[in-house]
This record gives sequence, C-alpha cells and structure tokens, in this order.
Amino acid sequence: MNADNILEVRELVKEFGDHRVIDGVSVGVKKGEVVFLLGPSGAGKSTVMRCMNFLETPTGGEVLFHGQPVDRSENGLNHYRSKVGMVFQHFNLFANLSILDNITLAPVKCGLMSRTEAETQALHLLHRIGLRDKAKAYPSQLSGGQKQRVAIVRALAMNPEVLLFDEPTSALDPEMVGEVENLMRELARDGMTMLVVSHDTDFAMELADRIVFLADGKLVVDAPPAVIAASDNPRIRDFFSIR
Amino acid sequence: MPGIIYKKWLAVMLAFMALFLTSCGEKEAERGKLIMVTNATFPPYEFYQGSRIVGIDADMVREIAKRNDLELVIEDMAFDSVIAAVQTGKADVAASGITVTEDRKKQIDFTTSYVKADQVIIVRKDSDIVGPESMRGKRIGVQHGTTGDMYVTENLQEPERFQDGALAVASLVTGKIHAVVLDSAPAEEHVARNKGIRILPMALVSEEYAMAISKSRPELLAMFNRTMAEMKVDGTMDAIWARYLDKDGKPLAVPAVEAEEDKGMWARLADSFEVNFVKDDRWHYLVDGFLVTIEISACAVLMGLCIGFLVAVVRSAHDQTGRYKVLNFLCHIYLTVVRGTPVVVQLLIIYFVIFGSVDVSKVLVAIVAFGVNSGAYVAEIIRSGIMAVDSGQMEAGRSLGLSYGTTMRSVILPQAFKNVLPALGNEFIVLLKETSVCGYIALQDLTKGGDIIRSQTYDAFLPLIAVALTYLVVVVCLSQLLKKLENSLKKNER
Repeated sequence: MNADNILEVRELVKEFGDHRVIDGVSVGVKKGEVVFLLGPSGAGKSTVMRCMNFLETPTGGEVLFHGQPVDRSENGLNHYRSKVGMVFQHFNLFANLSILDNITLAPVKCGLMSRTEAETQALHLLHRIGLRDKAKAYPSQLSGGQKQRVAIVRALAMNPEVLLFDEPTSALDPEMVGEVENLMRELARDGMTMLVVSHDTDFAMELADRIVFLADGKLVVDAPPAVIAASDNPRIRDFFSIR
Repeated sequence: MPGIIYKKWLAVMLAFMALFLTSCGEKEAERGKLIMVTNATFPPYEFYQGSRIVGIDADMVREIAKRNDLELVIEDMAFDSVIAAVQTGKADVAASGITVTEDRKKQIDFTTSYVKADQVIIVRKDSDIVGPESMRGKRIGVQHGTTGDMYVTENLQEPERFQDGALAVASLVTGKIHAVVLDSAPAEEHVARNKGIRILPMALVSEEYAMAISKSRPELLAMFNRTMAEMKVDGTMDAIWARYLDKDGKPLAVPAVEAEEDKGMWARLADSFEVNFVKDDRWHYLVDGFLVTIEISACAVLMGLCIGFLVAVVRSAHDQTGRYKVLNFLCHIYLTVVRGTPVVVQLLIIYFVIFGSVDVSKVLVAIVAFGVNSGAYVAEIIRSGIMAVDSGQMEAGRSLGLSYGTTMRSVILPQAFKNVLPALGNEFIVLLKETSVCGYIALQDLTKGGDIIRSQTYDAFLPLIAVALTYLVVVVCLSQLLKKLENSLKKNER
C-alpha cells in the first residue's frame, strides 16, 4: 500500500465466533484525505473502523499508524487513541458532565493542557459551532444534532491526526443531518484527515476523495467518486442509484 | 457539579462514623473482673429491677465477687447460650438456675449445688390438664434449653420453645398454648403476678441447681466452692434467700394484683402505657436500645458501602478487562459465602467463633457482622449499576485516550451511583431492621429493650407497638433523606 498513509489496515480479518465478518480488507487514508466506507448493512464497515481504534480486537491482519504497527499495550493504546479520535452514531456524550466538562475532560486528564487552557479551547470550539451558550448545559438538554456537533468538537479538543466517523448522521432526524454534515464539510475544508462510515451516498459522492465499497466482508472497489459513478459493476450501480 | 455534592455527603457520613467508632471502644480486658452470664428472666433467681439485674443467683455471685476482691459484670443472654459462653471463655461463670445434668457435666464443671428445685406444670385456671399424660397432644411451652425442655422432648413430644420463661407464660395467659413446664420458683413468681393461671400440685422432676464454670479453670471452681461454703456457714446464704423467698419457699414482695374492674378500652390503654413505659422508668430500655440500634446500623452501613464499593470495582474491572484474576476469585468466595448464610448465623459465628476467646465490645462485633453482610449485597447492587451504564460511555472515554480507571472514575461510577441510589437506600433500610437480631449475642438494642419490658410486664401489645413504631419512624426519616439526595443529583438532568 501507499507509504504516505497515516492510518491503514492490512489484510484485516475479524471473526465473531465462527462468523467471519471481515475477510482480508486493506484500507488506508493519507494526510488530509477524506475516505468514505460504504456498503450494504452487515458488510462490516463499522467493524473495520472499530478495529482501527481497537474497540474491537482484530482476529488477524495489522493496523499501522504512520507505517508502524500500533503499540497495543495499555499506555500505547491510550496514547494512540488520543491521536485517532472517533465520533459515534449515538453521540455517547458523558451524561453526568456538563457540555464544557465533556470537552475538557480528556485533554486535562491526558495531560495535554491545563484546565484553564482546556476551558478556553472548549469555549472557542463551542463558539465555532454556535453553542457557546450551552457550555453549562447537560447532554440530556440538547437536541440530537447539537449533541453530535458537541461530540465532534469533543474529539477535536484532543487535536487528533485522524477522525473516524461511525455513521454520524444515522441516528438523526432529517432536519438535523444538515448541521452535522456542514460541520464535517468545514473540517474537510480545513484539511482534517477523515474516515467516514455512512449510508448517505450523496454526501459521499460530494465530499469524499475516495470511496471504499465493502460487501460480505470483502473490499469490492477503492476509487474516487468520479470512477465509481462511471462503474459498470451492477452491484455498485444498484447501491448508488437507490438514492 | 455533582462531584461536590458527593464529597459533602461523604464528609458528613465519615464524621458520624468517627464519632460513633470512638464510643465503640469500650471493653478492654481488665484484671480483677468476674464476668457472669445469665438469662435475666427467671425470678427470683435472676431478673431486672429497673436496669439492674438482681435475684438469688445475682446476689450470690455478687457476694462471691466481693469476698474475692473482684468486680462483677453481669451479662444477660439467651439461656441456651450461657453454657457455650462459659465454654468459649466469653464468661467466667454461668449462674442462671442451671440444673445439673450428666450431659452438661461433659461440657463444663459445676460448683456445689445450692438449691433443690422441681419442674412444674403451669396451666390456665380453667384447664382440664391434671398431669403430664393429659398434656400429650396439647401445645406445651418451655424455655429453650432448660431441663423442662429436655423432659418434655424426651417423654412427651416436641414442645414450643421460647427464649425465656416469661414469654412462654405470656403465651399461656393469652391462650396460645395450653401448658408451660418451668422451674418451680419462677413458676411461683409468674403465678403470683398473673391471676388466671395456676400450678399443678405435682413435681415432674426434682433437680439441683449449680453454677457452671469452664473445665479449664479449676482454680476458679475451687474459689467458688470455698466461698459458697463460707457463706453457708456464716448465714449469708440464708440472708440472700430471705430477700426473695419466705420460709415456705414462696416468693416475697409480690405486687398486689389489682381487681379487674370493668375499665373502658382507653382507660386500660392508659394503664398499660403507664405500666410498660412510665413505671420503673421502663422507657429507658427503649431509648437506650434505640441509640444502640442507630449506632450499629450507621457504622455497618458505612462499612458495607466501603467493602461493597471495592468488591464491585474489582469484579467489574475483571469482567471488563480481564485483570485482577486472584482478587476477583476471592471476591467471588466472599459474595457466595456471605449471601449464602443467614445474617443471624454469621453474627453468632463472629461472636462465638471468630472473636471467641477475645474480649471485644459486642457493639463492635455487631458492626463487623452487619457491615460484612451488607457489603456483599451492596457490592452486587453497585456492580449492577455499573453494568447498567450504557457501554457507549466507556467506548467514548477510551476512544478519547482516557484510561479504563479514569473513565470509570469520571464517567461510569458517578452514573452508576445515581442508577442504584434507590436500591442502595433499600439495602440500608433492610440493614437497619436486620440489626434487631443482635439480641442473640445479648446486645441490648431496640428490639431487646422491648423484650425486656415484655418479660417484666407480661404485656405484649404496647411494648411491641412502641418498638415497631420507632423502627418505622427511623425508616421514614431515612427514606426522606435518600429522596433529597436523589433529587439533588437529578437536578442536573432536564
């Protein structure tokens, strides 16, 4: 694969019991790239992403960060995860903490910055997404779209090198999808390296530098949107024209 | 921020615990003490007068202690525990109207006997029972572990066993049982205080009383026998007897039984109140007992919280990360054993076996027993609270680079506590009421206080109601406090 990849998986295999969910997938992302992982439900897209930050333990294959295998020790993983952030389908904001504390918790506890620095940064980030007045509110008081944007900003607070998005808009009402996708466009424009699992094929065609299409745990195609659009693979044509 | 509220409550609780524990450290083993155990519901040999235990046995041992320059300490406990107490060294001597039997001789040594006594049958005035055979098939009450108990069990049937003779008589008076088999002297006392019952003019068995001393204390036995002989010779024995029995062996100083006028219900209730609580300052038993109950419950709650929290964290960490295998195994054993045995049995084991030959404060024993017991249930409650927290919370924490421990402390545990506050509150309410069994180790708590009043007045209604009401009030207050805590924590949501 490409030596410029910041983050990649090689021949990734994941089995749950007898069921082989991922069967030798290799995917990578370069600095500043936006890569979308698409495919039918059950294709293993989320599992690939969760293997990337070891929320699932790969059964086989490698995960490489800057070309080196990830240090899977207790400290090694914590350090790695501080550089590879994740945004979840169900937001997973810390329910017992205020919005401000949600954002400052990790930077402070991981020793990245002092409490005052973290708060300043957090307020700045909140201002950027227009939610500064929600700093003292609690997650249960926010709408879905607001929660997800806070979740993105929480991940950004760690100054990650890569951001993984696991179906960021799948749990949102249609009218809130837009505000989240706008934020993602902004991040892409500012040069963030992003890997996105999504069902939104239109968004993928618009934003992605490359689209990786998975089916039955295997990689079907890995190409820029223009190439995908011109593909004669019936399965791909079918998938993309449903939208 | 919720963290501050937790810290406030924790500080308050710790302050209380410190206060209580400093008052716990009482009994140190001193030289020059004579510890006597007895079941003080056996007039005229041992019974309560106010808060003092008096009677033939009590006065006798008091005199023996005085003559040998020892300080007497009397402990009241269930009759069937007094011999065990002497055997395990918890007490020096048991003087409780104990009948000399061959079986008992195998366990302890007896002093020279000091009185001959009979086992007699008490029945209601209108009963048609005339002797042991006519008792067969009817409900017979005895005091647990006495020779009366043994006689009935061996010769007739399984009797109904009561903690003390007075409770058996109370049952007879209210018609719950048909007969009571008891030693003659206390039987006379009970009959003198209760019109409506009488003693059958026949002795079932004749026996002798003596005091019980451990087989490993021959010098103590010799001291007792020597002093008793002296007291017989110089007339002190007779003098003690004369305080309680007249020359026919009938009890003295019997309170005149009032003629039962036809009083209205309220008047009778007022009388009952006066007899049970006002007379002889009997309400002291309830108040003192109440303080003991609160002390034990509060300290045990704190202990249970600490133990339960630690165990829950170890178990959860093991389930989620696979670490602490050995610790987890130990926790597993602790949980299984403690939850698999009744708390009463645990209390008795801790008192008689674990602290068997050590002189410790009974309050401390009770706190340890109930604290350790509660800890097991609290552990599983907290663990279920931890498991109930959405797994996405832990995933989010870890994916930001936070360690397992930090995520637990900052995110999971606070949510877990909020989840289980109702269940924890429930556990503490249960604990408060469970402490009512500490009378088994002769600890005078609220329930035992009610028992003592009952054994003096033969009245079941008011003492029991008073005890129940006190527990109820405490539980209601506790529930309100918990509700306040829950609400202050919920303030942060919605």
